[in-house]
Amino acid sequence: MEYFGEEALGLVETRGMVPAIQAADVMCKTADVVLVSYENVGSGLVTVMVKGDVAAVRSAVEKGAAAAAAIGEMTAAHVMPRPVSRVGKIVSKHDIDAG
Amino acid sequence: MERNDALGFIETYGLVSVLEAADAMCKAADVELVGYENVASGLISVVVRGDVGAVQAAVEAGIKAAGKVGPVYSSNVIARPHADVQKIVAKYVIDW
Repeated sequence: MEYFGEEALGLVETRGMVPAIQAADVMCKTADVVLVSYENVGSGLVTVMVKGDVAAVRSAVEKGAAAAAAIGEMTAAHVMPRPVSRVGKIVSKHDIDAG
Repeated sequence: MERNDALGFIETYGLVSVLEAADAMCKAADVELVGYENVASGLISVVVRGDVGAVQAAVEAGIKAAGKVGPVYSSNVIARPHADVQKIVAKYVIDW
């Protein structure tokens, strides 16, 4: 899913893949958000990113972070209501729909 | 297998226990091994798919078996995964 910074961005980072997938599943199910990308930066840290309107993203991140923490280690959760479009360029680098 | 199959995950420290988990899961229940993903620092996860009851039984058996070999870091069963989650799980797929 392409992202140009036009919507709010929600981030949940976990140590390990399983809590990250759980966060992604819960976020997409509990609020009207779409999965934009996922990225493994090494050291076992995996980040999932969703986009949508700010209230939906806020609620999604809250639920997703709690779900991830329940089965593993959640290292960071954040909502960016209106990131600058350059941030969108970084996020789109890891576009989940691209190859 | 159907697209909306249940998914079962086990994440361990090290390849040895993850292979044991994969083996135990496939032997204990009628599930299909999708593949594995290594996110560094020794954290490796395997994912299986199948009927929700089978996946649940497989993960339980997998945790027990892998726990004897090495530490199990996390595990999970997603009964009916959201369509977007399949895009992440696709990274696990291994070529036979």
